[in-house]
Amino acid sequence: MKGIKFVISLLLTVTLVWALNKSWNFGDPIPPLGKFLDPFHGFWANAELKASPDQQLNLPGLKGEVSVVYDSLLIPHLFAENDDDLYRVMGYVTAQHRLWQMEFQTHAAAGRVSEILGDVALDFDRNQRRKGMVFAAENSAKAHSKDSIVSKVYQQYTEGVNAYISSLSYGDYPIEYKLLDYDPELWNDLKMGLLLKTMSNTLNVGEDDFEMTNALNLFGKEMLDVLYPDWEGVGDPIVDNPGGWKFNPITLDSVPLALPDQLINIEPTTKVVKGVGSNNWAVSGIKTATGSPILANDPHLSLSMPSIWFAAHMKSPNVNVMGATLTGSPVIIIGFNDSISWGVTNAQRDLVDWYKIEFKDESKNEYLSDGNWLSTRKVVEEFRIKGKDSFYDTVVYTHHGPVVYDKSFHGESEKNHYAFRWIAHDESLDLKTFYLLNRAKNHRDYMAALEYYSGPAQNFAFASTEGDIAMRIQGKYPVRRKDEGRFVLDGTKTSTEWQAYIPNEQNVMTKNPPRGFVSSANQRPADQTYPYYVHSNNYEAYRNRRINQQLSVMDEITPADIMKLQNDNYSIQAEESLPFMLSSLDSASLTSAEQKIAELLRSWDFVYSPESVAATYYEVWYNSLYRNIWDEMTSSTASLSRPSDYVTIQLMKNDSTLSFYDVQSTPEKEDLRTLIRQNFTKSLDIIDVWENENDSEARWAQFKNTNIGHLLRLAPFSYRAKNGGNGSAINATSGTHGPSWRMIASMEKTGVKAWGVYPGGQSGNPGSRFYNNLIDPWVDGRYFRLKFPHSVRETTPYRYYTTTFNSTSK
Amino acid sequence: MRFIIQIIITAIVCFMFQKLFPWWTMAIGAFLVGFVFSNTGFKSFLSGFISIGLLWLGLALYVDNATQSILTEKISQLFPLNLFVLTSLIGGLVGGFASMTGALLKP
Repeated sequence: MKGIKFVISLLLTVTLVWALNKSWNFGDPIPPLGKFLDPFHGFWANAELKASPDQQLNLPGLKGEVSVVYDSLLIPHLFAENDDDLYRVMGYVTAQHRLWQMEFQTHAAAGRVSEILGDVALDFDRNQRRKGMVFAAENSAKAHSKDSIVSKVYQQYTEGVNAYISSLSYGDYPIEYKLLDYDPELWNDLKMGLLLKTMSNTLNVGEDDFEMTNALNLFGKEMLDVLYPDWEGVGDPIVDNPGGWKFNPITLDSVPLALPDQLINIEPTTKVVKGVGSNNWAVSGIKTATGSPILANDPHLSLSMPSIWFAAHMKSPNVNVMGATLTGSPVIIIGFNDSISWGVTNAQRDLVDWYKIEFKDESKNEYLSDGNWLSTRKVVEEFRIKGKDSFYDTVVYTHHGPVVYDKSFHGESEKNHYAFRWIAHDESLDLKTFYLLNRAKNHRDYMAALEYYSGPAQNFAFASTEGDIAMRIQGKYPVRRKDEGRFVLDGTKTSTEWQAYIPNEQNVMTKNPPRGFVSSANQRPADQTYPYYVHSNNYEAYRNRRINQQLSVMDEITPADIMKLQNDNYSIQAEESLPFMLSSLDSASLTSAEQKIAELLRSWDFVYSPESVAATYYEVWYNSLYRNIWDEMTSSTASLSRPSDYVTIQLMKNDSTLSFYDVQSTPEKEDLRTLIRQNFTKSLDIIDVWENENDSEARWAQFKNTNIGHLLRLAPFSYRAKNGGNGSAINATSGTHGPSWRMIASMEKTGVKAWGVYPGGQSGNPGSRFYNNLIDPWVDGRYFRLKFPHSVRETTPYRYYTTTFNSTSK
Repeated sequence: MRFIIQIIITAIVCFMFQKLFPWWTMAIGAFLVGFVFSNTGFKSFLSGFISIGLLWLGLALYVDNATQSILTEKISQLFPLNLFVLTSLIGGLVGGFASMTGALLKP
């Protein structure tokens, strides 16, 4: 009897332990409860005590001793005796604070999220693989491994990361691993490539070749140029040098543009994302209070927890550099050293094309090119899916690139196939640029560093203690004929392929321009006399003008002035559209409530301040009107893009007869005045509902409610920022995107001074007080002086704790 | 008295097991103590339950206090039940069953 009881009891115990040691999914994923709640090693172990003790760590492979001093913001200051040790410890330290994020980002790039989250992520994963993200990362890793310097940096960094990973037991794992019940895998060169290509993906893939091709077929060329003009003619280009481009450009034979005559019914997975963009500028010493140049940069990206950036200071006898790394990159991406500083914004340019492919037959083994049948390369992609069997997908590669869409993936049928040509697929040595910038001493070194840079194309602003300022728009750019690349291309002829690239020395650049500053905000790179065809679907129209207007009139500039400018919430878009919208309202027809709002808007100063209620009314009214005008684009069965805000506002003001004002879904024939009037009422209704739901006045910051979301969209690990700004303001904080790292460097001969802040914190651990400690200062437009000590001794006043790395087995 | 001693011994043994090994080794500890004390099945279950429940609760409270609830308040939003209750319940159940199994092994 007792024997049976024992067996039952034993079975119960073993089953219980088993069930509590594994994750389950009953609609919602449940972590392994026993493992997760165990106060010794479970999530409780991730809660960090306030003070961290000084530590001695053994890191095999080090040649000397490395001191890592953390300052009061948890920014590590690395002091190494040689470069190898510096990058090794950088790998270890970054992983200590951000391991889960490093890995998750690269898993996402590689289309491996389903392994962690299950088949909800399968469509996302397939898209990543079909775009050739892994292909691109492999080519990047290959190029970097061939370079004797960068390959060593990679190796040291990778070994540092892996030494940290190998030291971990379950209790030390970042909390996300515990929640989702999986283990970190070792770091490698491919992951480094994936990290770089994630940036290319964010910055290049918001193109609309399919949409433009459809627009051309539906509306004709004349209307196309009205709706999507190649040159909006607004603001200063980044480099305005009319008639000053003294070189012989590469030219191509002209070929007629061949377009498919039917509409493309592909649902593109990537859309233009409003809010991705950035500002940078450098002011010459003649305009500053100290007489030394000041550089400023704020890249606007999707805001996330943990932040995409990890700040660090890295010093060895050969380099002394500080700034922000893309978490997982061994070098500083935006920063300064004792002699120079640099910052980047995206150099908008069409670097993606779609080639229409003619396959010989359904097998897709061969395709036509200049009359020859070429063989395709087929890659079978395995997607491991948590809790399910693997999914297999075959991706067909042509010499242009992979065929992304087909019947099985976002394509309408097997009739039309397009191969994806993307600059990021090419081998390139981009990391070397940053390696060299980290140790550049002057303008010449900066120019030499940029020679290696291919993509994603960036506007590199520069300032030095020697007093130079510069801007160079660097990337690998195909030479294009007029209009080439705006639409899909004929993949059966090699004549429309990328045949030549603009030589680096013919790229757009300037040094010490007479106006005393350089700046960029994703606008056009150069004036119309630049001898190459330059195209992008989203050149910026407002921020760049505000920056240049302000910098032109500013004098005796101090870093505090620059901080104010980076946080400027003035919108030229509102200034140029609201008075017109208000003047189109027939006052007699307004209710008294509407009169009041119109009055409020009339007195608005066009500043998206956190407390502004008028900003909310304008924003809702304009957006509602904008969507209403372009309803043709969203109601069409073919994919179409909406014209830019700038074009929309210009058309409203100058063309009252545009057929698009008529709303498709109503029998009446609307005109612009009717639309403006109707959407005014509608915007009041929308805000009314919001105010009732939220039981508060619709102040802009509350209404916008900027989300700084955790990468897994876990609400308790995410934050809401209540700040001002908007896409058209210099402080380009929208609901999801914004200045992801604000940095200012004053290049004084007596010692570089720098300030920085970003929405997040140095620790990736939600159980640390350094997880979110920089968000509030960022919201308030406050900055921290970036401490730039030259020795461990200098760190004493602000030292938080020190980790000393040694190798006991040399 | 014997009951209370069993609770204390279980907690001490399991504390040491868990310090060094994964969480489930606590079941082995409770099992061994249950075997040695060889109480009735029910009493043994109760002592294991109370012992591990209190051990886990105590440590969770300690961590929570020492870290000013920095993580507790975030994680508790992910669970429908109070985290302290849930933690001690889960630990207690495993401890209880393991302890009972140990007691039932004695002929």
